Amino acid sequence: MQKKICMLGGFAVGKTSLVRRFVQSIFSETYLTTVGVKIDKKSVAFPDKTVDLILWDLAGEDDIGSFRVSYVRGASGLVLVVDGTRAATLAVALTLRERAEAEFGAMPFVLLFNKSDLADRWAISDSEIDELRQLGWQIYLTSALSGEHVDDAFRQLASMVSK
Amino acid sequence: MTSTVDPISLPKRAASNDTEIDREALARLLIEIARNVDPDYRARLDGIPTADPRMETLRQLLVGREISELSRVTHLLDEPEQLAAAVGGVLSSAAARASHAQLGEALAPVVERAVQRSIQKSPRTLTDILYPVFLPAIRKSIGEKIDQTFQSLNETLRHIFTWHGLKWRFEAWRTGASFSEVVLRHSLVYRVEHVFLIHRNSGLLIKHVTAENATSEDPQLISSMLSAIQDFVKDSFNEKEQSGLDTIRFGELRLWSEVGPFATLVAVIRGNPPEELHEIIRDVLLRIHDECSQALEQFDGDSSQLAGVETQLQTCVDLKQEESNQGFPWLVLAAVLLVLIPAGGWFFLSWQSGQRWQAYVSRLGIQPGIIVAEQKVHDGQFYITGLRDPLAADPQSLLAGTQVDPARVHSHWQFYQSLDPEFVLKRLAASLVPPDSVRLSIVNDRIVAEGEAPDTWIDRARAAAQQLSAGGPEFDISRVRDVSPEARAAERWQTYVSRLEAQPGIIVAEQKVRDGQFYIAGLRDPLAADPQSLLAGTQVDPARVHSHWQFYQSFEPEFVLKRLTASLTPPKSVRLSIVDDRIVAEGEAPDTWIDRARAAARQLSAGGPEFDISKVRDVSPEARAAEHWQTYVSRLEAQAGIIVAQQTARGGHFYISGLRDPQAADPQVLLSGTGVDPARVHSQWQFYQSLHPKFVVKRLMASLTPPDSVRLSIIKDRIVAQGEAPAAWIDRARVAAQQLSADGLSLELSELRELTPPELTHLREAIQAVNIFFDSGKAVPGPEQLPVLDKLANQLKELATDARKAGVTAQFMLTGHSDETGRETAKLSISAARAETVRALLKKRGVDPELLLVRGAGTFEPAETENSRTGSSANRRVSVTVNFH
Ligand SMILES: Nc1nc2c(ncn2[C@@H]2O[C@H](COP(=O)(O)OP(=O)(O)OP(=O)(O)O)[C@@H](O)[C@H]2O)c(=O)[nH]1
Ligand SMILES: [Mg+2]
Repeated sequence: MQKKICMLGGFAVGKTSLVRRFVQSIFSETYLTTVGVKIDKKSVAFPDKTVDLILWDLAGEDDIGSFRVSYVRGASGLVLVVDGTRAATLAVALTLRERAEAEFGAMPFVLLFNKSDLADRWAISDSEIDELRQLGWQIYLTSALSGEHVDDAFRQLASMVSK
Repeated sequence: MTSTVDPISLPKRAASNDTEIDREALARLLIEIARNVDPDYRARLDGIPTADPRMETLRQLLVGREISELSRVTHLLDEPEQLAAAVGGVLSSAAARASHAQLGEALAPVVERAVQRSIQKSPRTLTDILYPVFLPAIRKSIGEKIDQTFQSLNETLRHIFTWHGLKWRFEAWRTGASFSEVVLRHSLVYRVEHVFLIHRNSGLLIKHVTAENATSEDPQLISSMLSAIQDFVKDSFNEKEQSGLDTIRFGELRLWSEVGPFATLVAVIRGNPPEELHEIIRDVLLRIHDECSQALEQFDGDSSQLAGVETQLQTCVDLKQEESNQGFPWLVLAAVLLVLIPAGGWFFLSWQSGQRWQAYVSRLGIQPGIIVAEQKVHDGQFYITGLRDPLAADPQSLLAGTQVDPARVHSHWQFYQSLDPEFVLKRLAASLVPPDSVRLSIVNDRIVAEGEAPDTWIDRARAAAQQLSAGGPEFDISRVRDVSPEARAAERWQTYVSRLEAQPGIIVAEQKVRDGQFYIAGLRDPLAADPQSLLAGTQVDPARVHSHWQFYQSFEPEFVLKRLTASLTPPKSVRLSIVDDRIVAEGEAPDTWIDRARAAARQLSAGGPEFDISKVRDVSPEARAAEHWQTYVSRLEAQAGIIVAQQTARGGHFYISGLRDPQAADPQVLLSGTGVDPARVHSQWQFYQSLHPKFVVKRLMASLTPPDSVRLSIIKDRIVAQGEAPAAWIDRARVAAQQLSADGLSLELSELRELTPPELTHLREAIQAVNIFFDSGKAVPGPEQLPVLDKLANQLKELATDARKAGVTAQFMLTGHSDETGRETAKLSISAARAETVRALLKKRGVDPELLLVRGAGTFEPAETENSRTGSSANRRVSVTVNFH
């Protein structure tokens, strides 16, 4: 079974890095901004099935106006990525999700607060994250650098979209 | 009728308008007939008797039916509804019979407008309707196009006397196919290597089929990428829904895609496919849509439902046209030689080499970086001059394969530098030798360098960019990041400096970089983070850092707070925090502490953050006592039935006055637990009646003393009595309710049930257990019943009196019964008679007859079921029931 998944979030929040970590298990410090869209694939195996995630890594836009929402057509799930060291990227991720859902209806998603390894520059309060968890959202503190929780988050989404 | 009257003028005037019958002509005709019949008539009559009523009759006779028919038709024409119905009935056959040219002419604008409207409203509808129609149409037109191509090829090739031409002509002659077909067959060499069926909405791969030996990367990835490209093109060029990229070319490979309603079919073709392949692909896609449109529409990433499409796709990848490998056509060569040698080999060869030369020249002409200025052929020698870029293809090497004899070519090339971006890029790459981390590419005729490079290289690149600027393509190096080691170190240093600057309690006064050493000076609060430890993780070499920090006391609230905490040691009940750059102390503290805090706040005021201690409550003994008093006062104020009029605290004593309901809580009692010393409290309370329902209830409880079976409750400001009570009590309550309503309060009694007092109940039960028995057929009880009657009379009298005392009236129902013997009416009347007798007997024993009611129940309420033949003594009786009112 294949499922199309879109990575959404502001620029440089680490979408590409998360995909690379998840698909190839590598991380690089250098920042090459994504232009348009980059597509990757990874199979996630469950006891009863295997889900092929087709990951559409979209260019991050902080200016929501230039977001190409049409790339999200036909997606089964979203990975919303927030840079935990830049509080403003949370609003960006949530707005992008609203845009996508306004166009194509509600779909499962996971919300990742990335760069959890940068604890000293962390800018999101626990209470804020707890509030979002109260909404029943699947939230992970990830690090593309260390790999922490990256697999968990993608596996969770895979199981959500393959139900 | 006289001869003076013009007989013709009359009927003319009188012509009725229902039928435009020519009366004059009719009259003349009749007269003519008459004259012919009777010659005398001729003599007598020479006018026309048109006013004759018989004319009208005649007219009716002749055209009566036509008139009525005509009026029916006219009616039909005048009524739009009926006309529409009538025309509707014949419209189709009328249209069928109409001249097609004219009908088409008339309908065209209408139909056009209707179609336009439909498209404006929803283009989808018409597209869906036409999808099965226009595919064949497109196919047909493409077919025609191919035919045309055939034709023109035919024309061109007919006159070209090339080696291949001859070869193919021979093949055509040999196989019997038309020459153009053979040409096409040879020039179109292709193979369909992959076919992807892609879900249109999500870009997910539904199925992928590969030709033998063809390899590819992950087809699922390719599928998604293709649809991303489609999305991108659609977005970027604002293409309409249905259209998209249908051809993409990468060198030898072509991607042809066909878009259907739910899926897109992409064929990857190597080589040079014929146009008709489009048709075949479209056909396959159409068939797939036909067969599985539902499964396609509902596709959600699981293609097991669509296994069947594989065979369809397989037909696509089977398509190929390979170079015929029939070996060298010796036969053709022989034939050609046979034909040509007699005609003069030399001429042919010279002609042929001329052709080849021209082919070579035009090949050079299209070569980038080569400009042919002049060329000629003279005495079998070829001369060519022009310009060439040193980086362009070598004209000499291009000769190879053209079959032009190099020895006969005399070229004269002058070098020049082409400004074609491609060449500029090559030159730049050769002269600048960019490091591996830099990539040069051409973007919209600009040369763009991207990546990382040391600053020395960037400087050189910048110089080159400046040189280029005159007329050449732009060279953009803005995307190259400077990564020379020095620059990198400086960059890291800057990161460190800005990290320090962002640190509270650290002020960077000066910093510089010299000779690879970093110098920094500034102020730091002893409580701030250690600048040394902040170096960790910045990759700045600590050995090269020379810092000079002076301690100072930061006025940043955070630090002031730390210092205040250290110096003031606030009690546990005080909490210090930072609110909007102010330090705020909250809680309780003894006045001594508050004094110290106040002093500290004053010291701080010069330049430091504000220290706000107004929220610290003074808890020294006096203040505490006053506080307790206030607690007590507000406790009183919250109490229902207590109204505090005045209160003061003076000289350590507390004075309070006000009103209180006698039923309200005792103010003295409320003192307990407040910590106020009762000895210092001086109260003055005046009683009043609170109208608060709670107090009204209390008063009612005291004045009405309701029985235990009554509950008084407050429901939304109304007092509601529920339960059971004797009628007398209810009467008293009713009076109280009336009084209350004068005060605007309501006491509701409607939910009260009247209660029989227990002593009455007891007596009633005793009475109701009594029966007076009778002998069969008798309405008077036997003497043995007299003591029963006596006792009953006494009981009734007692109950009547007791009831009156309790405020109710007791009534006694005497019911007579009979057994089953005897006739029905007799049974009923004897039962009533028995009741009457008992009434009389009781009356005689002093029971108030007003209270005695009688009825006969016949056999309907038997005391026991009986054998109707013997009867039952138990059923011959009179029973008593008691009711209270
Ligand atoms: N420390 C740390 N850095 C990270 C992490 N994830 C990403 N980065 C860095 O953040 C920068 C941006 O990462 P990208 O993955 O390219 O970000 P992106 O969201 O794909 O950016 P766009 O494609 O421009 O939208 C890179 O320099 C990464 O090395 C992380 O978990 N921890
Ligand atoms: Mg990216």
